[in-house]
Amino acid sequence: MTFPTLLADTNADFWFPIQGSSFAEEVDWVYDLILYISLAFFVPMMAFMVWCLFKYIKARGTKAESQISHHTTLELTWSIGPSVLLVWMFVQGSISFLDMRTPPEGSYDIGVQAFKWGWTMDYGNGTFHPELHIVKDEPTKLSMRSTDVIHSLFVPAFRAKKDIVPGRYNYMWFKPTVASEKISDEALAKLKKQNEGTTWDYDKVHTIQTEDGERELQVTPEGYTFFDLYCTEYCGKNHSEMQTVVVVHETQAELEAWIKANSSRGPIPMEEWGELLYARRGCSGCHSVDGSKLVGPSFLDLYGSQHALTTGENQLVDENYVRESIIAPKAKVVAGYQPVMPSYKGQLSDDDIDSIIAYLKSISSNAPTQPAGAEAESEEESAE
Amino acid sequence: MATIDSVTTSTDAHADDSHGHDHDHPSWLAHHFDTPEQQFDSGKLGIWLFLVTEILFFSGMFCAYAIFRMLRPEVFEGCSQFLNTKLGAINTGVLLFSSLTMAWAVRCSQTEEHKKLVALIATTLSCAMVFLGVKSIEYSHKWGMGLLPPGSYFYSAANEHPTAQQLVEIHGFSESMAYFLTNSLYFICAPFALVAVAVLVWLIVAKVSGNAFQYACAKPLLVVALSFFGGVGLGMILESGGEHHEGEHVAAAGDHSDAEHGEHSGDDHGDSGHSHSIASDHSEASADEDGATMVESPLGDDYAAVKLLAENETNTGLKDLVAAERTQQSIATGKVLTDPAASDVGISTVESEVNTPRQAGVFFGIYYCMTGVHAIHILAGIGVLVWLLIRAVRQDFNRQYFGPVDYVGLYWHLVDLIWIYLFPLLYLIR
Amino acid sequence: MSNATLPAGARDPGYPTERENYLTNSSGILSWMFTLDHKRIGLMYLIGVMSAFAVGGLLALAIRLHLLDPNGWMFSGAEANNIYNQVFTLHGAIMVFLFIIPSIPAALGNFLVPVMLGAKDVGFPRLNLSSFYLWVFGALFFVTALFSSGLDTGWTFYTPYSTTTDTSVILATLGAFILGFSSIFTGLNFIVTINTMRPPGMTWFKMPLFLWATYATSIIQVLATPVLGITLLLLIAERTMHIGIFDPEFNGDPVTYQHFFWFYSHPAVYIMILPAFGIISELISVHSHKHIFGYRFIAYSSIAIALLGFLVWGHHMFTAGMSSLTTIVFSALTFTVSVPSAIKVFNWLATMYKGSISLTTPMCYAISFIFLFTIGGLTGLFLGTLATDLHLHDTYFVVAHFHYVMVGGTLIAFLGGVFHWWPKMVGKLYNETHGRIAALLVFLGFNGTFLPQFVLGSRGMPRRYATYDPEFAFLHQLSTFGALLLGVGLLYAFVVLMVSLVKGRRAPANPWGGVTLEWQCTSPPPYYNFERPPVVGDPYDFHNLEWDAENERYVTTEPERKLVPESTPEEVPVHAGGQK
Repeated sequence: MTFPTLLADTNADFWFPIQGSSFAEEVDWVYDLILYISLAFFVPMMAFMVWCLFKYIKARGTKAESQISHHTTLELTWSIGPSVLLVWMFVQGSISFLDMRTPPEGSYDIGVQAFKWGWTMDYGNGTFHPELHIVKDEPTKLSMRSTDVIHSLFVPAFRAKKDIVPGRYNYMWFKPTVASEKISDEALAKLKKQNEGTTWDYDKVHTIQTEDGERELQVTPEGYTFFDLYCTEYCGKNHSEMQTVVVVHETQAELEAWIKANSSRGPIPMEEWGELLYARRGCSGCHSVDGSKLVGPSFLDLYGSQHALTTGENQLVDENYVRESIIAPKAKVVAGYQPVMPSYKGQLSDDDIDSIIAYLKSISSNAPTQPAGAEAESEEESAE
Repeated sequence: MATIDSVTTSTDAHADDSHGHDHDHPSWLAHHFDTPEQQFDSGKLGIWLFLVTEILFFSGMFCAYAIFRMLRPEVFEGCSQFLNTKLGAINTGVLLFSSLTMAWAVRCSQTEEHKKLVALIATTLSCAMVFLGVKSIEYSHKWGMGLLPPGSYFYSAANEHPTAQQLVEIHGFSESMAYFLTNSLYFICAPFALVAVAVLVWLIVAKVSGNAFQYACAKPLLVVALSFFGGVGLGMILESGGEHHEGEHVAAAGDHSDAEHGEHSGDDHGDSGHSHSIASDHSEASADEDGATMVESPLGDDYAAVKLLAENETNTGLKDLVAAERTQQSIATGKVLTDPAASDVGISTVESEVNTPRQAGVFFGIYYCMTGVHAIHILAGIGVLVWLLIRAVRQDFNRQYFGPVDYVGLYWHLVDLIWIYLFPLLYLIR
Repeated sequence: MSNATLPAGARDPGYPTERENYLTNSSGILSWMFTLDHKRIGLMYLIGVMSAFAVGGLLALAIRLHLLDPNGWMFSGAEANNIYNQVFTLHGAIMVFLFIIPSIPAALGNFLVPVMLGAKDVGFPRLNLSSFYLWVFGALFFVTALFSSGLDTGWTFYTPYSTTTDTSVILATLGAFILGFSSIFTGLNFIVTINTMRPPGMTWFKMPLFLWATYATSIIQVLATPVLGITLLLLIAERTMHIGIFDPEFNGDPVTYQHFFWFYSHPAVYIMILPAFGIISELISVHSHKHIFGYRFIAYSSIAIALLGFLVWGHHMFTAGMSSLTTIVFSALTFTVSVPSAIKVFNWLATMYKGSISLTTPMCYAISFIFLFTIGGLTGLFLGTLATDLHLHDTYFVVAHFHYVMVGGTLIAFLGGVFHWWPKMVGKLYNETHGRIAALLVFLGFNGTFLPQFVLGSRGMPRRYATYDPEFAFLHQLSTFGALLLGVGLLYAFVVLMVSLVKGRRAPANPWGGVTLEWQCTSPPPYYNFERPPVVGDPYDFHNLEWDAENERYVTTEPERKLVPESTPEEVPVHAGGQK
């Protein structure tokens, strides 16, 4: 049986994805232990049953060979005997569990914010990113919180999972043992070109020329191979799309460089940074850019348009309204939508918000092309 | 097999399913039981099992009470002062007395003292009605003051009895809701008044038409229906006495002179700031707080307690919590983080309106759930007792068949017993 | 034996007259709607739960068809995920609350408990009828929820999702609340009936094992369901009044809800599976024509499971952030439940050894039960073990595990029970060959559906996903094709039963050779079950049964036992309307 594999070069076996963390080996060992013990019981039992079926199927009316009603010693044996194995499983499982519960001193700490339906990893210093980037062989602790409903963070390759309950902090940790690979810049540039104009599809398998020859790989927009990260506690409509990726860097320096590169806009234009924020910060989960109605209003042609609010008033979508909607989303809700958006207060810098506004302008046909000073007039026009 | 030709006359479509009574069966012995003992034992076991389910039903709420009392002891202490112990005590007495009359009624049904049985059941019913009357005073009083579950809690010490107008303007209630909250006593009394009038009409009709049985039923029931208003009157008298008592608390709470009351006030109107007594004792903690320019504490008043506890080195979890809260606050105020170690928290979600009324509301949420479900059980008890009363008037019970009185009696004792637990848990423990 | 003449003294109750037959002794829709006859109520339940199962099953097929493609195949458009979520929620809620919980206890239990006890009815026939109508009422609430704004919380109604979503949570929770009372009253009725109405000679350890299982189930129903009731009531209060117990926005605690919910819902798992154990114990013994092996161990293990089942609810929350100690204690307690379950399986296998097995349709279901339930039980070990549970929790491994227990266990046992007692219930024999083919299809289809899901789960596929990563596509497709086969098998089985109503041969009183009391009255039983309480002995003593090849039935050669002192026989039993 051939299974489409998680990564083209994975050493995933039949049961499990690749062993990506220090837990994986332990968990897989306990799993195999239970599996083999279970098979050691299951196979003989079923063989016995089938043998009985062949041996003792008799014509109707035939009396049974024996009418033995019980055999206390035998019954006690098979009641108590297997319990020893159960204790073994329990002890092994609990020892590994305690390892997985207790983060070692000095773990690298990353904040995780889960919301409907996306993730924001907080790397400190005001750097937020939806992807989880960590360092190989470095114990990493996640401090997790949720703003709305219960979520659960699950990285199959790490065999690690923890619920994220609103109203409290939950913590988890792991030590990744396998680093992500980075494809060559030329290959990445080629991919970017192929995917121009579409949102990046993490699940897409690309055929990429590497040093080891051609390989089937899934990569992030920055060209890293990755591990999947899922939400495993049902959280509503787009629960199945609440996924992101884990990228494991070889060294701390590499990670720091990556954080630096993602901490602010840098030299790229505002629209482009706004578009990146749109993709990275979870906006795309609820706001489309093609005009289709998702959980929130579509961003296409939004800027400069008029919308009725739930209060019945009309609201022009201008810079102030966009800013307010990001900081205090529940203040003015567009009619026909639920007040479900979390506040981004403190998560986006002024420059970030300006960039998002710039991006909204760039995809709106209602956006005024005049400089800022002339905006008031154009607003009046569009209001008519 | 037996042939049953002899029953060919039985043509009723569904009578023969179950009502083919043996002629040696008395009318009160169901066809599927062999002996009266079997029937009685079955009923008794059934009612005991039912009581077990009732206890488990309430146990869920007792668990909730225990959990939240453990989580927020100061909220429970503070809020229980809003409950009027006198009214609770009177109700306890009334229920205890009704248990006595109920137990006596069971005895009378066994000894076939029919007149006494009717009188005792009617007394039990009247007690139940008095209980509800007092309860309705308690409820309506609290609703008017806004001592409600967190979703609609609006109590403020400055204005204890807001008008309907104020409710609409300040607290954003709909007009009909505001009208209901300020006049809730009338709404509660209305159905009971209707019942009383209906019973009165029934009594008159029965008297005029000369139906002795109906008259005998309606007479005690009228007394029962009127007892409710006796309870309301009793409650009013005691509540007005209690008002003064409660006013003291609130006044004391207002000037923060008393540590206990200070805590109480903090729960209920946290926007007036933290209790100064706590703040001055632990100036360090409050200095931190001021440094973060917090207007309101995100966790309410127990935050002060948490901080206090967090000063102890061993409470690492709480230390983390306080640190996390501080980080969160500074992010929320737009400050740039300088300490990367403190950045593990990330995003602010603590909205400014998550403040103390919601804390206090939890107590009242649990209070209304527990007493409300108990009151529903009283109402159900009244229902079955009325049925019992009518059967007692009809003299259905005899020394061999008194099961229903016995079963209802057991149920009534359980309802009583639950109140015996509710009263100290909610009213007395401080 | 085929040509042997029957020994002298062979007895058979014969066939009921039309006036005795509980199906025909009165007619008209009202005679069914207001019946107090436990057999008719049982039959109405059977129709009810089968309809619920049909709805739940169609929803299940919709789920599987949607998952045919990584991006969703069945539903499309912007609301596809929403529809999927509603479908899986309703599938779960309907199957759990409307089908599995009432299936064996309420449908088969109602029919069988009094007959097996030699009683005329359950202890409280009116309460029994009201249980049924509560069930109907609860089902109506679910249907209303379905047609108003649906339900998308998952059947567990986890807060704060259930307090914030704008679907019909209140309607559905009210429905579940009402169904809870239906379940409580059924359980209460059975406990009272078994305690007070056993016939002379039937001591506790002379009861058929189905009664033991029903008794254990009833204990759980009575003790656990009220907690669900109050939990749902508090949830409704939370949604309407924001009482601040479960909703973190009002300072409540969602994990408290989980504790409350699973305190009921884990024991509820045993409400679902214990009666199945009871049925399998009967089936294996009767169709092997051999005394059940280790009667006491099986009986005690039912009670042990019922009691231990109350202590393990925490294993649904290993990842929710309980303290390490609590987590480990719950894990240890969870392992203890596996022991009594294992005892039963060993005892069933030992019962088959040296028996005289007839591979009838019910026996086919019984052996597939043993196969499937053993897988379901063993995979539970992976989930009870902490280290592996952290990986497998909320993945398809869990989905596969509980379907092996709930479907491979309860549903298969339910089908086995229906096929076993069908001749007794309706008085008709079905076609054995077709019955066996259907059982085989169900077995293959079921494994095809859920075996791949174990692999999906351990490879990391989370549950309740409307869309999924393409690397899981192959296994998902395999599972979908299995589900289609399973659907065909179930439909086939249904058709076999329906055809028997029309074309089936008239069933003898004892077609399989059972010794328990229900085989001693006619098929179908008379409305009064037994003229007078029969005297009973060992329910698994097959010595006195002989095969009557001519009439294709089993007859008993045991002399009729009489009560001592014997009462004067009456010409017409008084409860049947005779004059004294």
